[in-house]
Amino acid sequence: MRFQHFSRGFSLFIFLLLMIAAISGWLTSTPLNFFLRLDPALATTSVISGRYFLAAFIPALVVLLLTVLLGRFFCGHICPMGTTLDISDSLFCPSTRQAVNSAALRKIKYLLLFFLLFAALFGISLIFWATPLGLITRFYGLLIQPLLATLGSALLDAGHPFFEWLDISSLLFIDLQTPQFSTQLFILVFFIALAGFARLTPRFWCRYLCPAGALMALASAKPFVRRHVSDGCTQCGECVHSCPMSAIDAEDSQLTAFDECIVCLKCETVCPEGVVSFTTAGKDPAIKHTVLSISRRSFLSTAAVGSCTALIGQPDLNAATLPLRPPAAVPEASFLARCIRCGECMLACPTNTLQPVWLEAGFYGMFSPTLTPRIGFCDPNCHQCADVCPTDAIRALDPLERVWAKTGTATIAKDHCLAWEQQKNCMVCDEVCPFDAIEFASVDGNPVTVPFVREDRCAGCGYCEYHCPVKSPVAIAVSASGALRLSNRSYKDTAKKAGLHLSLDTSRQPSGAPESQYPGKKGGATGFDDESQDSVAPGFTE
Amino acid sequence: MDRREFLKRQARGALILSSGLAVTKIVSAAPDPDIAVVKGTPAAATRGAVELLGGIRKFVKPGNRVVIKPNMSFSVPPERASNTHPEVVRELVILCKEAGASKILVLDHTLASPDSCLDTSEIRPACDALGEKVVFAINRPEFYQEIDITGARDLHKTQIVKEALKADVLIAAPVAKSHSSTGVSLSMKGMMGLIWDRRIMHWQDLHTGIVDLCTQLKADLTVIDGSRVLSTNGPGGPGKVIRQDTIIASGDMVAADAYAVASFEWYGKRFKPRQVKHILEAHRRGLGRMDLENLNIHTLSL
Repeated sequence: MRFQHFSRGFSLFIFLLLMIAAISGWLTSTPLNFFLRLDPALATTSVISGRYFLAAFIPALVVLLLTVLLGRFFCGHICPMGTTLDISDSLFCPSTRQAVNSAALRKIKYLLLFFLLFAALFGISLIFWATPLGLITRFYGLLIQPLLATLGSALLDAGHPFFEWLDISSLLFIDLQTPQFSTQLFILVFFIALAGFARLTPRFWCRYLCPAGALMALASAKPFVRRHVSDGCTQCGECVHSCPMSAIDAEDSQLTAFDECIVCLKCETVCPEGVVSFTTAGKDPAIKHTVLSISRRSFLSTAAVGSCTALIGQPDLNAATLPLRPPAAVPEASFLARCIRCGECMLACPTNTLQPVWLEAGFYGMFSPTLTPRIGFCDPNCHQCADVCPTDAIRALDPLERVWAKTGTATIAKDHCLAWEQQKNCMVCDEVCPFDAIEFASVDGNPVTVPFVREDRCAGCGYCEYHCPVKSPVAIAVSASGALRLSNRSYKDTAKKAGLHLSLDTSRQPSGAPESQYPGKKGGATGFDDESQDSVAPGFTE
Repeated sequence: MDRREFLKRQARGALILSSGLAVTKIVSAAPDPDIAVVKGTPAAATRGAVELLGGIRKFVKPGNRVVIKPNMSFSVPPERASNTHPEVVRELVILCKEAGASKILVLDHTLASPDSCLDTSEIRPACDALGEKVVFAINRPEFYQEIDITGARDLHKTQIVKEALKADVLIAAPVAKSHSSTGVSLSMKGMMGLIWDRRIMHWQDLHTGIVDLCTQLKADLTVIDGSRVLSTNGPGGPGKVIRQDTIIASGDMVAADAYAVASFEWYGKRFKPRQVKHILEAHRRGLGRMDLENLNIHTLSL
């Protein structure tokens, strides 16, 4: 087996293993987002657009420095995107195809990189459209994973009668989450397109489009360890034809485009004379770097387009229309500058409440995560989304702080509520609220007690909306209003100062929140049929 | 001798030595009571109450499949009294094993994340420590089977967990707690934890729906955990938790619920069983009896 087969396979295996760990909630203390931290384009644009630096970006820096020494080894041996496209290549592409080798197309990836960097300069991160690690995480996490889970779930269901026959308790109650994500169809089409382009030429993405590849190409103009052809080359052309990047000159196979070479070592393997090696020796002639062929006009116009794109479409930060963000998401402008839409938070979310948005957060907010309480509640004891976020768009908090990360506030739609409108005994919202933020009171003319939301106790977790028996439109819904979004301050201190009483208090008595101020609340029990009209015991009767 | 064994012996000893009633029962074979009430530590009182009622073998025969339905639907620790005390559930599992049950399952359809509920309630760790896994959340539609409830007034159709339909013995093991829409949540209300779609019940008359459901899921044995009572703000709490050290057992779930309503304080007041609509309706429909004054009730303090 060639070294590259091993290295690529191993990398993809570790990548998928970390993803499975993130999905299942194992190994929470390990850096499950490690691969995302290796992408230099992602790190660079994030640093520029977010105006911040994280230790998590250091691995990308190391990759970039190693590229100076070793060339684009990352593209050839580590990148799961490259490996995945190679796999689809070997499955779907005829081996007889003629590679389309276009010097003009090669420039695209640099122009794309410049475009992204200039947009980032003005605080807008568009890297999510082109970061290979982010895209591939979305592909496996938000498309392949749900597909396999659905398949597995169908198998479990099919096997259930057999499990019943076996009568083994643990088998009877196996539960497999089958998450679904919006925008799945888009991801599918996007990857079909990428795989389809590979019919034109192998590694179409890596050659022509990938901005991370472009950044690494800039660093590998003449790497320390590079392709070397010693005397004895017969110009047979084997290496030229086998090179997946067309990095070898067709006329003179001793000439290498080091910026395009991904160090896959294939030329070394196929050379019948055995004269190709990757060493530090020799004055190896290089093909002129592609970036040098980009005209000043092209560069300037790309820079202008990037800057203008950022300037004309600053996201709408009107809090009333903002989507519900995950708990402890940094303030919206920073959030959009940091979030790379990799989908890690969504695939790690145990209740599937985190979903990618389309345009709800504006054009620049596409694919960013939102809580969808109708699909799942946001468990106040869980912060897996923050644990896996590679760019700190969601701040990882201490569990005691986490409880105070208010994501929004629930509002009751009285004209749909079973208690308010239909005078039915329904207190499901109160029953499920982990924050004890629902209060019941008697109002004139209604024989049953009705719910009120205590905004100071509501964390926006969405248990109420998820469990509400009224379907569309739901009778209690969470909006982002009142959400706490802090870049660095303490959630607990800030929330307390704002007069919030968010608590999952496990003590026997309710925490020291002030008594209810709602009209009609006369104190006493609810749900009882009451003997005396002046006090309410909920659910009891005369 | 481990702690469990110690408690067992202590309970047996206490029953025989301190209870004239129990002695009389053994000697004279007096009829078993309708309701047994024992005060003591959760495990010992659970065992005591079941013994007083006639012993577990009266309810569970060798080879029987048993489903125990506790409250473990909330991700809160035992002291919040929203879930059944883990020692009560564990003692019931031990009792069923002693009676030779072929399969024991402790099931609930949780409201919060299953693992979090089962573990924070301490019920799963307590029961799994006995050996095999018996505690499961039933949060998947495939575990259920749709059935028609004949004679129902509101809930004509529902999906009940298959294992409960298959079971020879159904044991209700609720904690005693208040409930903002049904007054109390005891053995009858607790059966909503064995069905899939609970939302629909809130569209109908909830009390009637509960009685309809209990005609189908009628517990053979009810053991109400009144070791501590969530007297206000139930079912989720946090509310006023009152320590009562009491376990109530009965073969009649309506009677057990009625006794729990009458014997504990709710929202600082006293209520009669008939003030809880579903208890009144269950009594009227002949599902069980709430007329405590006419029932044979044995009480005992360990």
